[in-house]
Amino acid sequence: MTDTPESKIPDPQLNRRSFLKGCTAVAAALGISEAMIPKLVEAATTAQRPPVVWLHFQECTGCTESLLRASHPDIARLILDVISLDYHETIMAPSGHQAEKSLHDTLDKYAGKFLCVVEGAIPTKDKGIYCKIAGRTAMDILAEVAPKAAAIIAIGSCAAYGGIQAASPNPTGAVGVQDLVSGTPVINIPGCPPNPISFMGTVLHYLTFKRLPVCDNLGRPLFAYGRRIHDHCERRAHFDEGRFAEQFGDYGHRNGYCLYKVGCKGPSTFSNCPSARFNDVDVWPVSVGHGCVGCTEPNFWDTMTPFYERLPNVNIPGIAGITNIDKAGKTILGVAAAAVGIHAAVGIGKKMVKGCGCKDDK
Amino acid sequence: MIYEKHYVWSILLRLYHWAMAGSIVALSVTGFYIFSPWTLTNLEGTGLFPMMTMRYIHILAAYLFTGAIVARCFLFIFGNRQERVWDVLPISARNIKNLIDTLGAYMYLTDHHDEDRLGHNVLAGMTYVTTIFVGFIQIIAGFYLWLPESAFWQQFGNAIFGTQQYGRFIHHILMWYFILFAMVHIYLVIWNDLKNPDGLVSSIFTGNKFRHREVK
Repeated sequence: MTDTPESKIPDPQLNRRSFLKGCTAVAAALGISEAMIPKLVEAATTAQRPPVVWLHFQECTGCTESLLRASHPDIARLILDVISLDYHETIMAPSGHQAEKSLHDTLDKYAGKFLCVVEGAIPTKDKGIYCKIAGRTAMDILAEVAPKAAAIIAIGSCAAYGGIQAASPNPTGAVGVQDLVSGTPVINIPGCPPNPISFMGTVLHYLTFKRLPVCDNLGRPLFAYGRRIHDHCERRAHFDEGRFAEQFGDYGHRNGYCLYKVGCKGPSTFSNCPSARFNDVDVWPVSVGHGCVGCTEPNFWDTMTPFYERLPNVNIPGIAGITNIDKAGKTILGVAAAAVGIHAAVGIGKKMVKGCGCKDDK
Repeated sequence: MIYEKHYVWSILLRLYHWAMAGSIVALSVTGFYIFSPWTLTNLEGTGLFPMMTMRYIHILAAYLFTGAIVARCFLFIFGNRQERVWDVLPISARNIKNLIDTLGAYMYLTDHHDEDRLGHNVLAGMTYVTTIFVGFIQIIAGFYLWLPESAFWQQFGNAIFGTQQYGRFIHHILMWYFILFAMVHIYLVIWNDLKNPDGLVSSIFTGNKFRHREVK
């Protein structure tokens, strides 16, 4: 190791060993060679830490909480040490006018160089009046900050795709960052909340390679969102062998069987949850017996609900009460069968009255 | 009165038909299993892998289905007179008249039978063209669900369906279209065979239809 990071890291809680462990964890999540770890370390300890402006819009601060309270101290400290949070409403020291001043100082001083992280959806209905900070709408703030940023990281499903605010009927016209920003590269780290390691990996990738990681066509980095949860799930063997929990608490559930039949959305969801896991204790929803709810997918509040069914409900105009897709299918098939029966009966009736009408009858 | 034998359906069309029929049955049955597995779900140590097996059959049948749809599209353009797409769509005066006659006959209003038409009536033809179109959407959704990591299918599928979950939803809804189609198709084929003794049902096995001619 050519570098001695201790000397450059002021916080005594993050010692060199933890620091290297954190960098190694991120390298593993990124799927890059261990030969690259010194480069990551170098990038993370560079004196020129990238200023970060962290904008909060329509959100619950859960993504920030998830980052700050990551029980993995290495990752949490690494985030705070590697990036310089010039503006973050939850954790910054200044308030009021001073806070707004630090935002504008950063915009002026580091124009084109800082990273912008957006947490939360942006309401657009009625000129965006449903979310205001310091008297300005979220749309205004984003329109001012976005063109000056080097890149934008949309953290969480709200910033990426609108999240719960954008769920039908979307009363505030909420949208994700990528729907409003053009010209500045936007990368999505969806999840509710996303794994801190996916965020850290994106930041360190940017610092090390000076570009954003490769994304899928929903704007998510492939290192974290390149695989379906189902394909890396520890319960996958039970799926292939046809062993399923039929309901919560039954024999199959107690024996760790696949949660497919209780509505697990792992087969529809792309994320690194089964391999990266959460909170440094190697857990994630499916490992503790609850199906995936598909929180990294666009519009998951609309398409993944009901959470304990496999597929969304259907809404047939004119027929209230039938929302289950197969019940609707069977009803339509039943109506069609009845129509077939009536049609045949009319034909038989007509034949009895008038004769067959066939050519041979003549 | 004698019956003239006419060769109407080529071998490829008959193969298409039975590949389609067989694959729809296999796909629906295995599809229902994949959607909601009905086997004993707490058996251990059997080594039967029912879900694996069902998915394997589903994918095999999906390839058969895809081949059938492609073959039908080929025949729409390069098939014989009865198989071509412009013979079955209401794009000419003759075809529009046939469509109106067919609707009338199905509603028991007329007994008119189009004597110069050996192939599909236009109502059936329109339904078949729709079915092929629905089949294409079903194929795209299926490959999108099966090969989500492939850049091609991901791009294609995301553009049409948005997400995997919505692709799965549409895939499941369209299955009901095919079930509905199969029921109505079988009923109307039998109904037509009863009405007009031209050998409609056997024509899909033999390729031949019959037409009567008055002997003077």
